[in-house]
Amino acid sequence: MDIPALTLTLRLAGLTTLCLLLIATPLAIWIARGHGIVRRVVQAIVALPLVLPPTVLGFYLLLGLGPATRIGRELVDLFGHPLAFTFWGLLVGSVIYSLPFAVQPLVVGFSGLDRAVVETASVLGASPWKVFWRIVFPLSRMSFVAAAVLTFAHTVGEFGVVLMIGGDIPGKTRTLSISIFDLVQEMNYKAANATALWLVGLSFVALLLVYGRSAAERRADLG
Amino acid sequence: MADFPANLNAEQAHHQLLVKGRRGSVELDVSLELTAPWTVIFGPSGSGKSSLLRAACGLVPGVKVEFRRWNAADNKGQGEWLELQGTSRALPTSWRELAYAPQGTAIFSHMTVKKNIEFGWKSRGHKRDRHFVDEAIELFAMQPLLQRRPRELSGGERQGVGLARAFAVPNAKLVLLDEPFSGIGRGMREALLPRMRARLAALGVPALSVTHDVEEAILLGAEVVRLEAGKVIARGPAKAVLADERVAMMRTLIADD
Repeated sequence: MDIPALTLTLRLAGLTTLCLLLIATPLAIWIARGHGIVRRVVQAIVALPLVLPPTVLGFYLLLGLGPATRIGRELVDLFGHPLAFTFWGLLVGSVIYSLPFAVQPLVVGFSGLDRAVVETASVLGASPWKVFWRIVFPLSRMSFVAAAVLTFAHTVGEFGVVLMIGGDIPGKTRTLSISIFDLVQEMNYKAANATALWLVGLSFVALLLVYGRSAAERRADLG
Repeated sequence: MADFPANLNAEQAHHQLLVKGRRGSVELDVSLELTAPWTVIFGPSGSGKSSLLRAACGLVPGVKVEFRRWNAADNKGQGEWLELQGTSRALPTSWRELAYAPQGTAIFSHMTVKKNIEFGWKSRGHKRDRHFVDEAIELFAMQPLLQRRPRELSGGERQGVGLARAFAVPNAKLVLLDEPFSGIGRGMREALLPRMRARLAALGVPALSVTHDVEEAILLGAEVVRLEAGKVIARGPAKAVLADERVAMMRTLIADD
């Protein structure tokens, strides 16, 4: 079992989930609020990582984060070194790669809210901030759980993007899925199996958490 | 507005609401001066009644809305019109100091009845304003329901929670009630109405309600604004504006006996 790879993977997935919930929440609120063409375009862009080969995404990120582009050069100036082949580069890549897994459940959740309930809360004097924390968030908490778990699990499982922009640097950018790939290449099937089983278990528990909670919620709602 | 009673004309209007524009299938064109303590907008469904209330709340985009409130001066100075929404600016919904019971109650299903009623107070009230909540609970006899969840309530009880939630908003400047008695039994309505009116009179807070129910409009004895297809077609005391309906109602009552 590659322990540095495990801690790195968990750190990456945790940070990605945190960043994505912060980014996806306002984005999903905005998407769910209207029907204009601009929103549909943004929704399509957000969903792109679902259909693009991870290597395509990784390739453009590699170019974008490196010194070949203007943004890349500015990032290099900002950090003093290129983001590619670093943990923070991986984080940026993971955030983009998992974006749809955070945004889609939230859009579904927010769209399902009774508009009259949200509006009434604001007429009764609640600021947008309070409306969010006291009405929107508790009423769509299952969507937040789903978004967090899916993002986390998806980040744990990503491979192509990580390989493209992270390389395979032990302790810095070698995640569990890359570690398995390396082990298989070394024909070390036993160790690969041990790590792979860990991933299967982790993913299963994550999904069980989502389905178990939502079943409990449904029972509670039925009273 | 020639048949406007002289004594009402002399009164200072407390709110002005102008709404102009298309809303679904209705072309709204309404200009209202609210002078009475309780004004009822009466009209068939689809006449745009609810849209008027929602426009006052700032919830109807794409329609021209002007909404002003008369601010009586604190000391000796002149009062003035406060612009809540106009051509140049619109106050955010939550700053308009409104109390609102929307159609269909829009209850907060994840909160207990108590939390629902406390919502306005918790949103913008001070600790010392707690009595607004207690008085609303008392007024609508919500005591036995406080710890219940909305899904455990009957339709009438939910309606009551929606009304109590509106009446518990501390220091509201206008109470907006959209079909406040739908789902509430006749007897209950007749018991509640005078109490609600007395409560608002004691607080000095005016009300604007919406109904399609003739009996309710007459019972309230309020100023009635009659709306049809988005336009005001009559206005005045309930007995005058709804004279025909009143006669028809009496006839059916007599015929029933």
